[in-house]
Amino acid sequence: MMAERAFRFGRARHLVGIAGLPPVAHGAVGVIMLNTGLMHRVGPFRLHVDLTRRLNALGYPTLRFDLSTMGDSGASAEADSREQQIRADVADAMALLGSQAGCTRFVLIGLCRGAQSAHIAACTEPGVAGAIFLDGYIYRTAGFKLRHYLPRLLSPARWRGFFARKLRQVVAPEETSFGSVYPPRGQVRGELAAMLARGLKLYFVYSGGIGEQLNHARQFRECYGHGVAGHPALRMDLLDGTDHTYTLVCDRERLFDHVEGWLRQQFPPPKTAPAG
Amino acid sequence: MTPASEPCQFGRDGTLMGMYHGVAGHAPVGMLLCPPLGQALMRTHRIYRQLATGLAARGICALRFDYRGSGDSAGDSLALDWQHCLADIRSAAAELRVRSGCATVIGFGAQLGGSLALAAAPAVGFTRLILWDPVLDGARHVAELDAWQEELRNDPLHYARPRSAADADGQWLGFPVSPHWRAQLSAWRAEPARIPVLIVDSLPEAMAGGWSPLVEAGAQVATMRPGTHWGDLHRLEHAILAPDLLRLVGEAVEQAA
Repeated sequence: MMAERAFRFGRARHLVGIAGLPPVAHGAVGVIMLNTGLMHRVGPFRLHVDLTRRLNALGYPTLRFDLSTMGDSGASAEADSREQQIRADVADAMALLGSQAGCTRFVLIGLCRGAQSAHIAACTEPGVAGAIFLDGYIYRTAGFKLRHYLPRLLSPARWRGFFARKLRQVVAPEETSFGSVYPPRGQVRGELAAMLARGLKLYFVYSGGIGEQLNHARQFRECYGHGVAGHPALRMDLLDGTDHTYTLVCDRERLFDHVEGWLRQQFPPPKTAPAG
Repeated sequence: MTPASEPCQFGRDGTLMGMYHGVAGHAPVGMLLCPPLGQALMRTHRIYRQLATGLAARGICALRFDYRGSGDSAGDSLALDWQHCLADIRSAAAELRVRSGCATVIGFGAQLGGSLALAAAPAVGFTRLILWDPVLDGARHVAELDAWQEELRNDPLHYARPRSAADADGQWLGFPVSPHWRAQLSAWRAEPARIPVLIVDSLPEAMAGGWSPLVEAGAQVATMRPGTHWGDLHRLEHAILAPDLLRLVGEAVEQAA
């Protein structure tokens, strides 16, 4: 029998997800994957499927599911804000994995908007013990601007490109960007500090595909300061050369190795339950 | 009121994942939505859900599912196999009939989902097919996918520096591809179906050879706009929008009924 099971669950039975349920000892840490952007729970190029199955093979119970109104999930009919919905959906997901695999502590994983959803839930949900933010919040710093603009100022080719772009914008204006709006940096820094103070373990992994937002590993410290960036329960890695959604198989393998390594270190996999 | 869709598992050992969209009361007609493969599967998930929901609201039950080695179903992406896909369509059609009690099953599929629905039609007993931009010439599709993959590894919006051929080898737009699957797909040539076929054509440019050999055998073609850019490298994660699809499919099904 397949070790994955499909569920409809949640406070209004409005959520749909796939739980990976390896035979584990009670109390194992469960891993929950949140939607990437607006894509359904399978993830870009099946990233969520491949990662959760890899973690199942190590003994971690997993759940990949669709938040309210995304993928196959419906609306809960509550008049809540999106943030409240995300928190309630994650609480429902933790309850499901708790009932199916006996998990009491959870690690959230999210890419891009999924990282933002993980951040929202990790701020308040007591069951969350850790989070892996893939291309999570990062803000341009003075260092970013120096590294970004200084080489361009001295390059005639860059100036030609700049004027060509401006001309194109006049002739054919670009589509409006519907990128998400970040909360103020100070708010995010404070929330991360609060998570760390509560004992959460946090892992930030940045791809090479957000060069317009992050252009050096040291930017993380510039952005959040030593109190957060230097905290022993926080780690940050930059996977230079990859694109934002890890399109190539070798890039996904590199990401999976990092995620697995961090999980093994911070939340060692459970011992397999005795058969029968 | 239309009942909520239900996730389901079927096939040997429950390895196939699907979503069943039931109707209140008896459903004489059902539609099996055969998904495309690769990133087209991800990009059409939303429109497939909308289509199934819309059909259920019209009293037509529907089943969406993933083939082995794709989507949520069991199996690695490298394990994709044409014959397994056809067997999975047969399992899914049986599941739809058991759940709904419908006597008539219409097959629907986009891109390679359309090709597979066409190939599976005789064994499944579809009474009608609705094919959205189906792939009729496998070798040409393979050449197209190879070209997109080559373009991807050199695309400056994905990579600051071009990626090596070795990094991108054996993949099509984010998915690993086995030599076996590549050979099976290359060998695919559509043959006319013996049942009514509607082709929903949303290709931005007319395809060389048109929809031969299906049109010669009587298939009808409905043009849908705006066009669908299946291989647009900069929209690999974007849902495909097709506001007219439900209307076209709904009309075709009502005509059939």
